[in-house]
Amino acid sequence: MTASADVEATVVEARRLELLRWIADSGGAISPVAEPNAKHGYEYPAPGGDVANDLAALARQNYLAARFFDRVSLCPKCDGCRLNVREICPACRSAHLASEGLFHHFRCGYVGIPPEFAPDADGGYRCPKCNRSMHHLGTEYDRLGKAYVCRGCGLVSETPPVEAICLACGARSAAENLVSTVAFSYLITSRGAEAVRRGRLLGDDDEPARVADEGVYRRTVILEFLLHQMRRLLSLNEPFSVMLVKQEPSETDPNRSNQAGKHLRRLKGCLRDVDLIGQLADTLYIAVLPRARRRDAEAARRRVETELGPCSPFVLSVSEIRERKDFAAVLAGFVKRSGVE
Amino acid sequence: MNGFLHYFLSALDPMSNLGFSRAFPKLMGSALPAWWFEVVLPVAFILAPAAAVWWSYLFRPPLAPAPLGARARQAAPLVSVVTAGRNEAATIGHCIRAALQCGYPNLEFIFVDDNSTDDSIAVAKRAALSIARSRHDTDRLRIFPSPRRNGKASSLNIGIRMARGEFIVIHDADSIIQYGAIQHWLAPFADPQVGGVAANIRVDNSGVNLLTRLQEVEYALKFTLAKVFQAKILLMDVISGMGGIFRADIIHALGGFDTGLGDDRDLSTMLLKQRFRLALSREAVVWTTVPETRHHLWRQRMRWRRNIVKIRVSKHRDMFILGRYGFANAIIALQLATRLLIPVTLLAGLLLAIYGRGFEGAPEIVLTSYWIKVLFLFIRILITREVASTPQLDNFHLIFIYPFYILWLQLPNIYAEWSELFRIGAKHPYVPDHIWEEIPWW
Repeated sequence: MTASADVEATVVEARRLELLRWIADSGGAISPVAEPNAKHGYEYPAPGGDVANDLAALARQNYLAARFFDRVSLCPKCDGCRLNVREICPACRSAHLASEGLFHHFRCGYVGIPPEFAPDADGGYRCPKCNRSMHHLGTEYDRLGKAYVCRGCGLVSETPPVEAICLACGARSAAENLVSTVAFSYLITSRGAEAVRRGRLLGDDDEPARVADEGVYRRTVILEFLLHQMRRLLSLNEPFSVMLVKQEPSETDPNRSNQAGKHLRRLKGCLRDVDLIGQLADTLYIAVLPRARRRDAEAARRRVETELGPCSPFVLSVSEIRERKDFAAVLAGFVKRSGVE
Repeated sequence: MNGFLHYFLSALDPMSNLGFSRAFPKLMGSALPAWWFEVVLPVAFILAPAAAVWWSYLFRPPLAPAPLGARARQAAPLVSVVTAGRNEAATIGHCIRAALQCGYPNLEFIFVDDNSTDDSIAVAKRAALSIARSRHDTDRLRIFPSPRRNGKASSLNIGIRMARGEFIVIHDADSIIQYGAIQHWLAPFADPQVGGVAANIRVDNSGVNLLTRLQEVEYALKFTLAKVFQAKILLMDVISGMGGIFRADIIHALGGFDTGLGDDRDLSTMLLKQRFRLALSREAVVWTTVPETRHHLWRQRMRWRRNIVKIRVSKHRDMFILGRYGFANAIIALQLATRLLIPVTLLAGLLLAIYGRGFEGAPEIVLTSYWIKVLFLFIRILITREVASTPQLDNFHLIFIYPFYILWLQLPNIYAEWSELFRIGAKHPYVPDHIWEEIPWW
């Protein structure tokens, strides 16, 4: 690495650390705010340049946890977000559509759009098919349900396609062809907090495998263990179970959350030595129970619940992993519970 | 013992036992008009067309259908399949799946739900989703839930109004388009004089009971063989509502269907009056579900017959005037006369024969007449099987009871004719009240 690259890396690191510090001082979270002039419609209210890229980089390094905030549709040509989205006529592609009820003349069965029925001198309409006048709505003619009528070509459609026109470059794209990007809000993680406390971004050696002294592995480590178990399952056909531990916030006892460490130690005491506990998200833990069938895992869950008692801040659930799809289901459940991307 | 066995077995010979061998020579040698009524007339009007079809088939068999191949979507004109139905949840799913998967690349399906009380719309949506591989696939089904019951004609008009296609298929909700049918269906439109093309209607549920088997034989003779002959001589008179394709611009110009009438025959007649020709595509097969109970069959036939009388005798009676809509159309109109005349002449011939021979010879003559019918039927059914591979071989034996089935079907037909001509029980039950009160009495 050249000297200039070194300097540049140092500058970037300092900027990101400053950003982390700003987030920590702002309550530990940062969310995007709408900004019509921003490229993707949102920007982060943090000092410094290139905040979005820095946040993404910090999230990749586990200093921040990304949470879904919004999805933004973009022009596939210029990547801009200033789009005019509207229904168009499926035949002539015109946006000149009107939503109106079709007229149905009972006598001859003609169905058409209202402009086809010429107004009569006495306030009624004249049917273009049979040329008879229609006066009484409900007895002579009827308005059918709403439909979109193209003012250009007269085509009637009940669900016209949606098209977006980019106000920046003028490109027209079908709604399904639009590119979309996700705007995230970010929460500082324990690793990020540690970096702020130490005043520098952490290296690989800085990072302990465990979150704290409770023998709880960090997310990346426990996910490695989980993947290893999965490989054993696929290669050796060795099923295992997992216990998801969700920490519920308490409105009546604010200290209960603070006692999670104590409860985690008691929980670990109920498990075998070969079982592993890891933190997936701030309030979500997972225990990997190798070679445990569902029945054994349920027994362990009951034992843990008895041990922790009614004051436990944890909600426990167990799943047996017998095949790949079970693993996928557990992961999907994990994403749903934690909101982590 | 042997003598008794011989005697017993000889009694089982149907020809001798039923008097055919005795009555037929007498009938053939008779100077009575019965000969003409019983043999010559049916030969001319029933057997000869079948023979002509067979003759043309022998000398110019239809080319094997061309392989469908990969036809570019842009090269294929958009075809809109319009189906209207009320409480069709049991069949609409299959109907939609078959149409969307029929191998035609540029097709949309429009289902107009005539204010159903069942879950027809949900079934229709599920059917489209079940075969959708892309957003384009789901867009091919368009559903219009009608807020009020409007009857079939008006519902079809809604679908026609929404159709974007260059050609519009009018299709029953209980019918199924066979794979590859649309390509063949479009072929006759190469002739600009052709305004509509009928499909080859086949019975989907023929194996359910005796009634459906008999209907398969009937459809083979009436909807396939007869139409092949009519199409050959360019005198087709109707495109069945079970499966027909039309030029969209013509239907739009005609303003769609008229309410309160049999939709298929009325539209076909309007096309003929516009001097368009109707054609048949034998390779465009559409499978339909026929009534499975006597009650439903009679209701269907009464509806058909009332509409024939209403349209031919009343609304479009000017078709009979030679020269007004062309000679061919006058001939088509006169087909109705032969249709009414032939049963009457057959009955008259029978009565005359009985009168001439005396009442003691009546059983022999009636049975002879029956065997002649069976013989003609057998020839026609063989030709139909040869030409169109229908009916199934399993149903060939039904020719012995088929004449009775046709006689039995005359009951609802006669009732419908009388009630329509003399306006007894005038209201058509399938037309909603608010429409019926407005439509003219044709």
